[in-house]
Amino acid sequence: MSRQFPQKADTGSKASDDLLSEGHEGLRKIPDNEMIASYERVRDHQVQTGQDRTYPNIRRLHGTPFEREKDRREVRALLEKPNEMQAWYQMARTQPCTWWIKNHLVARHALKSCLACGVCTSQCPAAQYYEEYNPRAIVDIALSEDEARLVELLKSETLWYCGQCGSCKPKCSRENNLMGLISSLRFLAQLKGYHLASVRGRQQYAARHLWGGNLWNRACSLYFRNVTSAGHPDFGPRYADYHADIDRQMTRLGANPDSSGQLGGRKVPPETLAELRRCVTWGGTLVLWQRLEELALEDARAVGISIDEYHDQVRSEG
Amino acid sequence: MTASTATTKVIPENDFFIPPSCILGAINPSTEVIITRIFDLLGLRWKAAGVGPESQCTCCTGILSHGDIMSIESTLLVVARLWSVAAEMGFENISPACVTSFAIHTECFEMYEHEPELTVKVDRWLQEACGRRLVIPKHIVHASDVVYRYRETLAQNFMKHRLVDKTDGRPLRVVDHVGCHYAKVFPEKSIGGADWCDVLAGAIRSWGGENVDYPERRHCCGMGFRQCMIRPNRGYTMACVLKKLESMEPWAPEAILTNCPGCNVMLDKEQWAVKELTGKTYDIPTLSYTELAGLLLGWDPYGVVGIQAHTVPIEPLLDKIGIPYDRSKEWQPEAQQDIELAGVRA
Amino acid sequence: MAKKVCIIGGGVAGMQVASVLGTLGVPSVLVERSPLLGGRVLKLSRTFPFFNDDGFNDGQDFAAALERDLRAISLADIHLNTTLTGMTGDFPHFRVALSDGTSTDVGAVVLATGFEPFDPTGLNEYGYGIYPNVITATELEWMLNPRGPTGGELIRPNDGKKAGRLGIVFCVGSRNRRINAPFCSRICCSYSTKQASTVMERNPSAFVACFYMDVRTYDRGFEEMYSMAQDRGVKYIRGRVSMCKQLPDGSIAVRAENTLISQPFWGEFDIVSLSTGMRPCSDVEKLAQILGIGRGPDGFFMCREWFRHPHDATRDGVFIAGCATGMKPIRNCIIDGASVAARVTALLRQVSP
Ligand SMILES: Cc1cc2nc3c(=O)[nH]c(=O)nc-3n(C[C@H](O)[C@H](O)[C@H](O)COP(=O)(O)OP(=O)(O)OC[C@H]3O[C@@H](n4cnc5c(N)ncnc54)[C@H](O)[C@@H]3O)c2cc1C
Ligand code: SF4
Ligand code: SF4
Ligand code: SF4
Repeated sequence: MSRQFPQKADTGSKASDDLLSEGHEGLRKIPDNEMIASYERVRDHQVQTGQDRTYPNIRRLHGTPFEREKDRREVRALLEKPNEMQAWYQMARTQPCTWWIKNHLVARHALKSCLACGVCTSQCPAAQYYEEYNPRAIVDIALSEDEARLVELLKSETLWYCGQCGSCKPKCSRENNLMGLISSLRFLAQLKGYHLASVRGRQQYAARHLWGGNLWNRACSLYFRNVTSAGHPDFGPRYADYHADIDRQMTRLGANPDSSGQLGGRKVPPETLAELRRCVTWGGTLVLWQRLEELALEDARAVGISIDEYHDQVRSEG
Repeated sequence: MTASTATTKVIPENDFFIPPSCILGAINPSTEVIITRIFDLLGLRWKAAGVGPESQCTCCTGILSHGDIMSIESTLLVVARLWSVAAEMGFENISPACVTSFAIHTECFEMYEHEPELTVKVDRWLQEACGRRLVIPKHIVHASDVVYRYRETLAQNFMKHRLVDKTDGRPLRVVDHVGCHYAKVFPEKSIGGADWCDVLAGAIRSWGGENVDYPERRHCCGMGFRQCMIRPNRGYTMACVLKKLESMEPWAPEAILTNCPGCNVMLDKEQWAVKELTGKTYDIPTLSYTELAGLLLGWDPYGVVGIQAHTVPIEPLLDKIGIPYDRSKEWQPEAQQDIELAGVRA
Repeated sequence: MAKKVCIIGGGVAGMQVASVLGTLGVPSVLVERSPLLGGRVLKLSRTFPFFNDDGFNDGQDFAAALERDLRAISLADIHLNTTLTGMTGDFPHFRVALSDGTSTDVGAVVLATGFEPFDPTGLNEYGYGIYPNVITATELEWMLNPRGPTGGELIRPNDGKKAGRLGIVFCVGSRNRRINAPFCSRICCSYSTKQASTVMERNPSAFVACFYMDVRTYDRGFEEMYSMAQDRGVKYIRGRVSMCKQLPDGSIAVRAENTLISQPFWGEFDIVSLSTGMRPCSDVEKLAQILGIGRGPDGFFMCREWFRHPHDATRDGVFIAGCATGMKPIRNCIIDGASVAARVTALLRQVSP
């Protein structure tokens, strides 16, 4: 992603400015506390404009190695205090795939039996685009209870073709929820590290830091500055004009880019963010995030690149 | 052409807690702002924040959940927290601005129905996580359901324009594209079901247009979460949009109407990619139901509706209907008092 | 004189019960709601598995033959345009009240009220009732009948043009847990195969495709009929049709998965016929209540003893024949009729020799 800083705002400290331009190696030396405090100082630096408060530095933090490293530290620390769902996911990841299908909250309601009617595949937009994709086959494998076939599926490229649209769901003759089943299997693939076997699976590391980074730091899975015109040449030139002027245009339309308020682009108060993080933590998600981190690092080491290079690589490969 | 079965969805009359949408906020902010403006116009009680002016609303985690990086329990908790904020404000009806959010909230709701023990667990976790209690809302409706309920009121009492050709009064031919997560994930919770969903068709009729059926009407826009947002996967999105455009073309649609944030973006913006890839220009104006409502209400096309954020120009459609616009305001923010809103404050 | 038997429903099953009772010397009251005897068979263009090679030109011919036999014996008191309104007493002393104001003492009651085809309007994905060229098998059957509205020609309802491309969708309203219809309707594979084969026989350049999940042509001569249809050029594609959509000229596009090669299928047809499954007769609930008998999970009247007495309802003195227990071929209705007549006669003789 090309980072554009139209107005370079003061971070309020020289040290923080340095951190923003550091790569992973440089950041390694900084202790956790210092790093987190510095991040929050930059993030919460505010400018009063009329009744609204604006936070000019958020744009400088999103998607940076600094933010990713800070996230890693926070996740690691939180995992040291285990909770019920974290323990469950830690245990579940060592179980056979068939066990997961019978026990995971989504999977166990998603799958009944199959008539092999093909309605799911017939309705599936992904099956119409990717010749090798067939959601009915995924159901067949899941019902086979054949561990070897399941592992092969979790390592496959095709597992990642589903667009999670739900077109299959209302039509299944046996009331299966394929959308949920597939998402649940993808979760398992990552817990087990099988996602590293496919290009599309490896993209999950970028997904974690894109949507996960936005959620963890901005309480919102999409940040308006993510959808750049450079990243989206498919959106055409008028969008490029719009995005180049996005702060003014959003404000004009009544949204709240990087400022206090209720709607698009808003910065939520730190207490709200803290509550959100505790909800995410209690739900066990951090076990997955930590696994993605460990596995990405191993994978990066194996090919001799840094974790930042790895992040950029998996995002653009495919 | 009418829906062959009617679902019996209850759309409450008033009092809506509106969890905002990540996608709308990021790419199509006006659509969401207009929801609140329409609710104000109708005199409805709504809230999108929490106590105080600063938002206590977070995202529902829908994108992360369908992007497979969020556990279902985390999603249940984040949604339960939003319900608790709503309850704190005295709201029993949740009306998400986003279609995926609508499905996520509904899924959580349904899970508690199917697995009552889950309520006990989530309630306990929520208390431990943030000292809140699980309060299951009475109704979950999408914001487009509310607009559907009031579509006639809007047309009769407030709209300055109708979906007709100004030269001869001919109803404009409009195709709809209902978000998959509105009508397919829980078809019984949509108006009219997955196949003959009426949530947009009904609005098109009430506002003077002709709703036109086409074969790939229910085909997904191809947003696909990881498909459109991770660049190498985006061919899928483009192919889905192309499939829809090719399918609707013989019916010569004059506009596409959507109710889902993702679809509104993809069907509009990928028309550019389709043009680049196939050399064929479709240029079918694509609007969300609130953008269209805003335009028909006579709200400023640039200052309020934000048509400058659209890839396919909306201006030709405005010309057809006879909606005035001032091209010099396209990029130039006006002073707040210049924003023309029918009786509502900006 | 033996006690009378009340037979409700004058389709082929009901007529057969009355006929055989007559040959055994048992008088009957035959109550038929419509103005004609014969039931659904009256409109059949030809009959599987042998395509009328049994000496009848079509269903109406066959029903007429049955009716001739029945009237020749003249032990049946036939009430047309009439239905059952009440019943009192217990076996073998029932009294039935009819909608024509009459009431009669009878020793037993036989239900031969048949079935209703599933109404596909509720299966929204097929667009029945919205797209004119999506029709039901019952409508196709009538169209293929030379006595029918098109003189037996396949005609597109939307524009009256000749139809050369016919798609037949199996299992509509059957084998689908989503709509609470987990059962198989048993003969739609066979009647669909008859229809497909008929179209190819009359027009060898036609394109006829059957979308099936299993071809259940289970009885004597049925499988042979299936292979003959294939020889005539009928295509069988294994996959349930997931949607029908209208194209600009009124043709119907059909989407399915060809599950045998795991590829999506998309095809265009002039007419798509929905092979609708079985549902109980329209007043099944009222009849069950008047007669005090039970129904199975599929909604049809329940039999008390699956193996030994397949035609006994759950109350003494009430019997079931023909499609009132679920769709079956004409021949099985005839077999039912004969065995019900024998069983009723035997039981009545036991109680009043
Ligand atoms: C499209 C199609 C094609 C078919 N083709 C063939 C074929 O080729 N070969 C074959 O063997 N079979 C075929 N069948 C099956 C055949 O139609 C049945 O086997 C036959 O109609 C069953 O006869 P029945 O008397 O049991 O019921 P029905 O034919 O349904 O007759 C029931 C009678 O009961 C009457 N009735 C209902 N309720 C009441 C009431 N409350 N009071 C009084 N009267 C009542 C009705 O009016 C009707 O006359 C086909 C079926 C369909 C749908
Ligand atoms: S949810 Fe996935 S499997 Fe189901 S129809 Fe959509 S893309 Fe296909
Ligand atoms: S729609 Fe359901 S029953 Fe049919 S093949 Fe797919 S999973 Fe199996
Ligand atoms: S008989 Fe054939 S078409 Fe009818 S429900 Fe059974 S399998 Fe389906």
